[in-house]
Amino acid sequence: MIVANYLVAGFVFCAGLYTVLTRRNLIKIVMGLSLMEGSTYLLFISMAYREGSTAPVLVSPPGGRNAHDLVRGNVADPVLQNFCLTAIVIGVAVTAVFLTIVVRIAQHYRTLDADKIRELRG
Amino acid sequence: MTATDERGQRVQGEAIETEPKHRVVVGLLLTAGVAVALGAALLGLPRGRQQLSEVARYAMQSSLPSWHLTEPVNEVVYGSRGFDTFGETFLLLAAVVSVVLLSRPREPRSGYFGEDIAGRREQAEIDPAEAPDSGEREARRAESAESDEESESSDDPDSDADTSAAQKKVAVEHRPKTPDNELVGGRGPEQAEAMSIIIRGAVRTATPILAVTGCYLVAWGYSPGGGFPGGAVILGVVLLVYAGFGRKRVARVVQPKLIETIEMAGAALIILTEAFGLFLKGSFSANWLPLTPPQTIRSGGIVQLFSGGELVEVGTGLIIAVFALLAMSHDWARDKSEDEPDNAEESDANENEPAAQTANAAGGEDQ
Repeated sequence: MIVANYLVAGFVFCAGLYTVLTRRNLIKIVMGLSLMEGSTYLLFISMAYREGSTAPVLVSPPGGRNAHDLVRGNVADPVLQNFCLTAIVIGVAVTAVFLTIVVRIAQHYRTLDADKIRELRG
Repeated sequence: MTATDERGQRVQGEAIETEPKHRVVVGLLLTAGVAVALGAALLGLPRGRQQLSEVARYAMQSSLPSWHLTEPVNEVVYGSRGFDTFGETFLLLAAVVSVVLLSRPREPRSGYFGEDIAGRREQAEIDPAEAPDSGEREARRAESAESDEESESSDDPDSDADTSAAQKKVAVEHRPKTPDNELVGGRGPEQAEAMSIIIRGAVRTATPILAVTGCYLVAWGYSPGGGFPGGAVILGVVLLVYAGFGRKRVARVVQPKLIETIEMAGAALIILTEAFGLFLKGSFSANWLPLTPPQTIRSGGIVQLFSGGELVEVGTGLIIAVFALLAMSHDWARDKSEDEPDNAEESDANENEPAAQTANAAGGEDQ
C-alpha cells in the first residue's frame, strides 16, 4: 500500500504547484513552495520503505534478528533517509530566504500582492 | 478582482472572502499536466520489494566494521556521503548570510531586536501624500510601544542603560511583566511580555530535558542525522524560552556578535575536520581519528566530530535566521507619520538616537 504514499506525495506537490501558479499573495506562494518541498520528503521516506523491514539501526534489532541479518537484508534504505534529511535542511534555508525577501517586499511596496509589485518604484 | 485600495480600510473584510488569484485556467491546466505526468511516474516506482541499492548496502555493511557506528544513516550522512553534507552545510550558511544581509537594518547593529528606522527620505520622495489608515496607525502604535521597551532593555548593559531605563519607565509602565494578574479572556491584545505561569512552568520543565536529550543523542551518535535534528532541537529550546519568557530573557544570549561567532566557529570546525583527512590520510573527509568501541562518544571518529560541528552550525544558523526574521523592522517605507496627533512621545524617542539618524541619512545618500 506504499503506493498511496506516492500518490499523496504527488497530490501535495500538485497542490503546492497550483498555489504557486495562481495565488497572488506572496506568503501563500511561499507556502506553496513549502508544500512542494514537503511532498519530496514524503516521497523520499516512502521510497526508503521495504516490506517487512526494520529501521536501519544496528542496535538490538527486533524479532530475534541480529545485526548481521540487518546488514544483509531487510532494512529501510538509509541513503534515501539521508536525502530526506538534506532536503529538510535545504528547505528550511530556502524558506527563510524567501520569507526575508517577502518581508522586504511588503515593507517596500506596502502590499503582498504579486501583481502590484511589477511597477517600478523607488 | 477586488477593490484592494491601499488606502481604503473597507477592503480588509472583503479581501478575505474573495482572494485575488491570477492565471487560474493556465494554472489548472499546468497542474493537471504535471499531475498526470507525476502520477504515471509515481505509479511506476518500485513498491517496497526492491533490493537495497549498492550505496545503501555498502553503508549497512561498512557502518559497524569500519566506522564503529550503529547508525548507518549517520555513516551515510557524515561518512560515505560526507562531501555532499559538507556542501549542504555551506548552502545553509549561505542562506543564513543572505537572510542576515537582507534583513539588515541600515544602522550599526547591536541586537536582533530593537533596530531603528530608516528610509524616510525615500518615502518622502516617492509618496509624500500617502495618509496612514487606521490599521497602519494601530500597527505603528504597537511597534513604537515595542521599540520603547526594546531601547530600554536590549542596549549594552555596560552603557547608559540605567538612565534611559529610568526615562522610559513611564512608557513601559503599562506593560506588565507577566499576565498572571490579568483577567483571563480579556479583550484586546495581550500586553504582558511573558506568558502565564502555566506555560512558564512547562517551559522550565521541558527545556532542560529537551536540550540535554538533543545534545546527548548527537554526542553519542544515536540520532539518525546527527547534528541536523540536534540543531533543530536547540532552536526549539531557544524559541520556547522566547515564547514563554519574552524577548528580554533571550536577548541577553541571542546577540548577533555571540551567535554569529559561534556559527563561524562551527563552520571552521567542519572545514578543519574534513581538511585534516586530506593532510593526514591523503583524501578529503577521510577518518583521521582513532575509533573507539561502538556506542561511545568518540565511536565514529570524524563522523562524531562532523556531527558535533553540524549541531553548532545548524543550531546557530537557524537561530540567526529565525531571529533576524522576527526582528525585521521597517526599512524603506515611512515609519513615522508626522501629521498624526498622538505621536509626540514617538518623536521624543526618536531624538534619543541622533547618531543612528545621521547614520541613516548618510546611508541614504549613496543610493
